[in-house]
Amino acid sequence: METDSARESGEEENGFTQPEIGDDDIDNVAEDFRDGLGLLSPKEKTMEERRNGTLDSDNDSDDNSRIRTVDENGNADDSSRIEVEEGQSDSSRIEVEEGQSDSSRIEVEEGQADSNRQIAEFSSENNNFVEGHKEISEAREHLEDDFSEQEIEVEAPTSPSSSGYAGGRGSSSAASIGSASGSEEIRDALRSGDGVTECFGNGNGEHRGQASWAHGKRYSNEDETSISWRKRKKHFFVLSHSGKPIYSRYGDEHKLAGFSATLQAIVSFVENGGDHIKLVRAGNHQIIFLVKGPIYLVCISCTEEPFQALKGQLELLYDQMLLILTKSIDKCFEKNSKFDMTPLLGGTDVVFSSLIHAFSWNPATYLHAYTCLPLRHSTRQAAGAILQDVADSGVLFAILMCRHKVISLFGAQKAILHPDDMLLLSNFVLSSESFRTSESFSPICLPQFNPMAFLYAYVQYLGVDTYLMLLTTDSDSFFHLKECRIRIENVLVKSNVLSEVQRSMLDGCLRVEDLPGDPTLPSDSLSFRLRRDKNLQVAGSSTGTGRNTGIGGPAGLWHFMYRSNYLDQYVASEFSPPINSRNAQKRLFRAYQKLHTSMHDKDVGPHKMQYRKDENYVLLCWITQEFELYAAFDPLAEKSSAITVCNRVCQWLRDVESEIFLLEASPLSW
Amino acid sequence: MATVGNKNVQAKLVLLGDMGAGKSSLVLRFVKGQFFAYQESTIGAAFFSQTLAVNETSVKLEIWDTAGQERYHSLAPMYYRGAAAAIIVYDITNLDSFVRAKKWVQELQKQGNPNMVMALAGNKSDMIEKSKVSPEEAKVYAQENGLFFMETSAKTAQNVNELFYEIARRLPKAEPVQHPAGMVLADRSAERARSSSCCS
Ligand SMILES: Nc1nc2c(ncn2[C@@H]2O[C@H](COP(=O)(O)OP(=O)(O)OP(=O)(O)O)[C@@H](O)[C@H]2O)c(=O)[nH]1
Ligand SMILES: [Mg+2]
Repeated sequence: METDSARESGEEENGFTQPEIGDDDIDNVAEDFRDGLGLLSPKEKTMEERRNGTLDSDNDSDDNSRIRTVDENGNADDSSRIEVEEGQSDSSRIEVEEGQSDSSRIEVEEGQADSNRQIAEFSSENNNFVEGHKEISEAREHLEDDFSEQEIEVEAPTSPSSSGYAGGRGSSSAASIGSASGSEEIRDALRSGDGVTECFGNGNGEHRGQASWAHGKRYSNEDETSISWRKRKKHFFVLSHSGKPIYSRYGDEHKLAGFSATLQAIVSFVENGGDHIKLVRAGNHQIIFLVKGPIYLVCISCTEEPFQALKGQLELLYDQMLLILTKSIDKCFEKNSKFDMTPLLGGTDVVFSSLIHAFSWNPATYLHAYTCLPLRHSTRQAAGAILQDVADSGVLFAILMCRHKVISLFGAQKAILHPDDMLLLSNFVLSSESFRTSESFSPICLPQFNPMAFLYAYVQYLGVDTYLMLLTTDSDSFFHLKECRIRIENVLVKSNVLSEVQRSMLDGCLRVEDLPGDPTLPSDSLSFRLRRDKNLQVAGSSTGTGRNTGIGGPAGLWHFMYRSNYLDQYVASEFSPPINSRNAQKRLFRAYQKLHTSMHDKDVGPHKMQYRKDENYVLLCWITQEFELYAAFDPLAEKSSAITVCNRVCQWLRDVESEIFLLEASPLSW
Repeated sequence: MATVGNKNVQAKLVLLGDMGAGKSSLVLRFVKGQFFAYQESTIGAAFFSQTLAVNETSVKLEIWDTAGQERYHSLAPMYYRGAAAAIIVYDITNLDSFVRAKKWVQELQKQGNPNMVMALAGNKSDMIEKSKVSPEEAKVYAQENGLFFMETSAKTAQNVNELFYEIARRLPKAEPVQHPAGMVLADRSAERARSSSCCS
């Protein structure tokens, strides 16, 4: 069952393969993005429980507090808007009213006063994105008229593939990063071929080896005129401030020069007014902009993910780029504003496509936390001790991981490793097949640690999925790191860590069915597994408080996810029926993501608790100083028993915390 | 650096060349006897070591397979610094890669160890029908610049062992005084004494 769904997952957001409902059909539950923007009166939507500590289940009014989950008319929402990040004042925004009528307009309100406003008008026939794109083009032409005397560097929109791109490869590119360019396109095409397999790993939708995203650029023959390209549900673009394409998720970025120029014009139009563009809504599409100095990142999506979530994805995409090039890339643009960055990213498509794929399965992308491989406390300690040993010998960070999960890690004194850096680093290593072949020593940048400088990473696989990363600031220390690796490997083999890692990968993580009936039971090593048999018997009695549907855990608990706020680590239960298809997993992922966004909405929250119910699930989110808990239940689950079960989950996690979390990571506290 | 022990020589060898020229493929063919039609582009640099017997001497090659991607060019000195030997690889079906190879030779002549043993490898000789670089031209260029030249194929293994053995053979042996590279040996030990790290 897993392999089939893996194929689907490879096709995620591919409008091609799913005319009906696919992975993004999460959305009969209408989402309200304005919510994410704080434009909607939010109180109608959420229930807050002010109490700390344990949840109370006896609050009758709770049932009324069910949030408005479905706005029947939501989809028919004709009003699109562009939201602009204000400069100093509160009042600046761009709005696009896009009704049935033929006239839409962009409205920019300037910071200081109403007087200073510019209006661009353009027409739209419908909400279709393709049309939206035309509109933008037209708007752009408009803008050019308006600002003809100003510097808007764009190519003619009518010739998407002739961009004057090759001219951009100047010797100035050699300035800070490298020398003249080569011819990599053919090469990339060559490499993006087949020769990779796809299959699913166990646990949390992680992927083993390479899935279809690992082919590097997909559909590179597409361009903005292709129907298939227009139908993609989620596009990511990176372009330079002069409008040169840098990266496109779909299609060959070189062929998208015209489209890139369009996006550039929109950004600069707004910037010329002293504002920053954040979001354009066009029908059911959102266009999200993120401006990072000379680099613009854009996401065009009809997946109905919240604005904040998509913006976070753009931030990660940018940081992934910094991990490869460092922020000194900005200097290339200072020297030559038409600098062409694509040659510098040669061969990295696979890194970005794997990150974008992670946006639809890896909770670390929005929880900003990492997850650990479950291990006996003593096993993890053995690994930690030897890592600490090498960290004391001049290694900045020593990180031992198994796929996306941390086995142990250690940093030199005062060195702080951010969970986002870990996510991007492991994504980089996992998606680049060449690390598997041999020892390697490569420059990488940890953007949260220091965006300006390269560190040097010694990377070596110690098993099929287990790899060691030793980071240093000293480019001459390869042989020292190599010796460290040999020492570490010896210890890990001797203390059976590597074989336990393999076993843990097979066993998976926490399962909702194993939730102990009696939270006061003493726990021993890997208790959540060893007690499994016992629990099967207890299960009948333990569901007295709730409704046992025969699947999932007690009280209809289907899944949970827990983030420790002290540790910046999270743990998620294994997916089990009925959340076993890839689509169901992705739907739940998106539901959590949405819940997470609304819980952290600065304008409304922070909330302590939220309880949502729709035809798919009951979702419960509970945030305290200590943790964030997300849980999904059978839609028919009773609220009171759901809350009881959440308390039991928390107790359970406390009991087994030394096995599921890395507790001795305190020197890395960030 | 070549280090002389009791008939044991240890030498750092670096492979340079355009991306896709086949550096990793040559090393993998030599070290592991493998070839992959879809060899992944190298990141940073990969390290291998291989010991071979040349006459009575055992030569341990510490091989740095560098990445040809443009973003790594400015970091290349980190890998070729202190190398006793270099193989500059180009793809015979790609003229640009030959141009690039010449640039690497120039850079090594300027920055590298003056006594470095250098080889020019015209790789993918199995695709001779698509060749864009004449072997004569490459040979003449190599001779003029003090390199030895071979056409190789990582795919068919043609000339791969020969290439690495020839490097090993040309490395300075137990007669440091007669061989100019003897100076370099001294450098290396001095470096070792200064610091325990010895990537250079
Ligand atoms: N036909 C043929 N193909 C080869 C040969 N050597 C390498 N290739 C292919 O050429 C491509 C590039 O080879 P690599 O070994 O990755 O090239 P590289 O020089 O290491 O490239 P970078 O790591 O990006 O610098 C791969 O698809 C290889 O399969 C050869 O001798 N004959
Ligand atoms: Mg390579």
